[in-house]
Amino acid sequence: MDYIVGYTADERGRDAVSLAVALARRQDAKLQLVMVMPEHSPFNAVYPPERGFESILSAQLQEWLAEGLAMIPDDVTARAHVISADSQAGGLIDAAVDSGASLIIIGASSRGLRKRFNVGSVAGTLLHASPVPVALAPQGYRRLDPITRLTCAVGTRAGADEVIAVAVDSAARRKLPLRLVSLVALDPSSGADGADAAAVEAAHDHANTRLAEAAASLAAGGQVSVEVVRGSTVEEAIGALAWDEGEILLVGSSRLAQHSRLFLGVTANKILRALTVPMVVVPRSYRSDDIQSRQPERSVTKRSDAGEGRDVQPTEVSQ
Amino acid sequence: MSTTQDSPTGLSKKGLSSGSVGLLGAVVIGVSCIAPAYTLTAALGPTVAEVGVQLPAIFLVGFIPMLLVALGYRELNNAMPDAGTSFTWATRAFGPWVGWMGGWGLIAATVIVLSNLAAVAVDFFYLMLAQLTGNESLADLTLNLPLNIATTLVFVALACWVSYRGMETTKAVQYVLVGFQLLVLGWFAIAAFAHVANGTAFDATAISPDWFNPFAVESFSAFAAGVSLSIFVYWGWDVTLTMNEETKDPERTPGRAATLTVLVIVVIYLTVALATLSYAGVGDGEFGAGNVDNQGSIFAVLAGPVMGPFAILMSLTVLSSSAASLQSTFVSPARTLLAMGHYRALPASYGKISPTYKSPSYATVAAAVAASGFYVVTRIVSENALYDTITALGMMICFYYGITAMACVWYFRAVAFSNARNILLKFLAPLLGGVILLVMFVKTATDSMDPDYGSGSSIAGVGLVFILGTGVILLGAVLMVVMYRVNPAFFKGDTLRKGSAPAHVER
Repeated sequence: MDYIVGYTADERGRDAVSLAVALARRQDAKLQLVMVMPEHSPFNAVYPPERGFESILSAQLQEWLAEGLAMIPDDVTARAHVISADSQAGGLIDAAVDSGASLIIIGASSRGLRKRFNVGSVAGTLLHASPVPVALAPQGYRRLDPITRLTCAVGTRAGADEVIAVAVDSAARRKLPLRLVSLVALDPSSGADGADAAAVEAAHDHANTRLAEAAASLAAGGQVSVEVVRGSTVEEAIGALAWDEGEILLVGSSRLAQHSRLFLGVTANKILRALTVPMVVVPRSYRSDDIQSRQPERSVTKRSDAGEGRDVQPTEVSQ
Repeated sequence: MSTTQDSPTGLSKKGLSSGSVGLLGAVVIGVSCIAPAYTLTAALGPTVAEVGVQLPAIFLVGFIPMLLVALGYRELNNAMPDAGTSFTWATRAFGPWVGWMGGWGLIAATVIVLSNLAAVAVDFFYLMLAQLTGNESLADLTLNLPLNIATTLVFVALACWVSYRGMETTKAVQYVLVGFQLLVLGWFAIAAFAHVANGTAFDATAISPDWFNPFAVESFSAFAAGVSLSIFVYWGWDVTLTMNEETKDPERTPGRAATLTVLVIVVIYLTVALATLSYAGVGDGEFGAGNVDNQGSIFAVLAGPVMGPFAILMSLTVLSSSAASLQSTFVSPARTLLAMGHYRALPASYGKISPTYKSPSYATVAAAVAASGFYVVTRIVSENALYDTITALGMMICFYYGITAMACVWYFRAVAFSNARNILLKFLAPLLGGVILLVMFVKTATDSMDPDYGSGSSIAGVGLVFILGTGVILLGAVLMVVMYRVNPAFFKGDTLRKGSAPAHVER
């Protein structure tokens, strides 16, 4: 199993490498440190023309990759390569598709003035376009020890099954305790007035039933807990939960993508800021069995399926 | 630890850049680099000031040294592909001192053009605001010195930011920009001729064969100044020649594109030049092309009377093309500075690359600071900053291109006479082109000491163009000596060695 690590020679890159190591341990996953070399379009019409910048840049990327590899402990297998693409997100997706990797790991935070924008651009693009799950390392993540618990946030709409399936499978494979959480605050109906209170309650009960069913389907020997969290904001709901240090949060992208594209980055940012533990976003229509038996020709089909699934998001809200 | 790392050659090469440019695309790139709408508005006036009605003749003659030098540039670019271009090649041929100055000349030329592009964009920005709102006083905002400087610095900063982030003009945008430029310039020319035909021209002047005779230019000084300006008008054309693997047919596309581009450009230049002269004459009346107030930016003055309500299209095309050029031109000095930092000819910080955007971070910002500084100084001390900047720019291009051409001759000396192709492309063409440009440089530099030269601005009895041009070169020389004191490694040949093309390598 391969994980793609979107490496950059800054704090964010270090966050990503740390999370990658934490995720790879216990999994025997192989890490691929990927740096994206920007492709320059000849139509940018740079003048006076030159042809040597790429070799200077390439040497610099090799140096940075060597630094990145040096951060990875001996018990984790890793290799590094440079991929040429017109965008950071595009390069990482190419790398994941080409190598049949099952996860893309990036650092989602950045410091200073550009804070928001960067989470919005690279992470945002990946969350909308990646055919495989995307793991976002929070700012300053330096934990290298294996993950200790999985939390899966699920709702009641279509798409919840996929996330639960991935979470159940993942927890079973890693022999980790699984916590299923219903964040009721995230449902559009929860913001309504008293007249909808009954509907909220019904949704609540429904969520509990679904969670219980999912829990029952988990392979014997696993630990499952169920929590329902209410809150008027994302931060409030997340803040109401207790988190283990080595925990990761699993969410489905459909849950976030009900918002507009630009808003997704902000939501991810909010969750990350409130969260302090890593978040893995699973694309809609992503099946957990793909993780274990991915065939190259199927991965292409899968990618377009996932794309269609995301495009029809708005129709789901009305269900 | 079982880590492996792919070798530098493991870089996966695919996608955009290779084999994606056809003949039309290459011509579009060529025209875009020349930016004819910007070039004409900036250079037409100063050239008329020098050579009067012989403007068409000079536009034709000016192409010759550009062609000769570009052939040499292509040979060097193939033999020593390097981000430092003129800097690296001149260092390899003549050693670190000449190389450093060659690099400085290139950086200075691009930095000067950056400041001029931004200033022209600002003029047309306010002009367009006036045309959009119908409030003519808005166009005069550009004459308000503090506001003008502030707006120009904002434009430079924006272009720097876009370039720093590695954002690029896409193919579709480039096609639209270039098509729009050619369309509007054609429109301008036809409208001007229509005014002449209808007797509504400002100063209808009959076209005469004499306009095409370069020997009719009154003095060698005027001729030299005209040629150094027309080097600037073709600056950008040679990009088509240096294209290679990015074209669909590397054997034929670059040559054909270069020919087609120069045809398109010569036709548009001559048409617009003839239209302007026929419509406005070279007198110093309100709209006359000989009026020094009109020469800094000729379309800003003439587009209104010539095109009427459609003059806003001219503002739009000059604004859009100079903004696009501003962004792409930032890449070049940044990469030369980066290469100089890389070879320790400048402090190592210039060699820094942004981890996030993979662009030359320090060097891009340095180029923006330099362009801003140059603009502020010129704007404050000059009565006609655009005019004087363009004249100084012509000088600077002659300087670094002259050095580059000579570097070609000297670097290839061992193989220059091995076959007919080498004699022509590695020896005769660059030698002739280089000599012409260096003579033009020296002549223009000497002449520009006259306080009446250019727009007539002067400091302490010395022409401003001379101060700008040689001042920038002297500043380079001083910085070079400082750099030698601080870190002599480059100057001792530790990072980039002097050499020449080995005789046994036949190309």
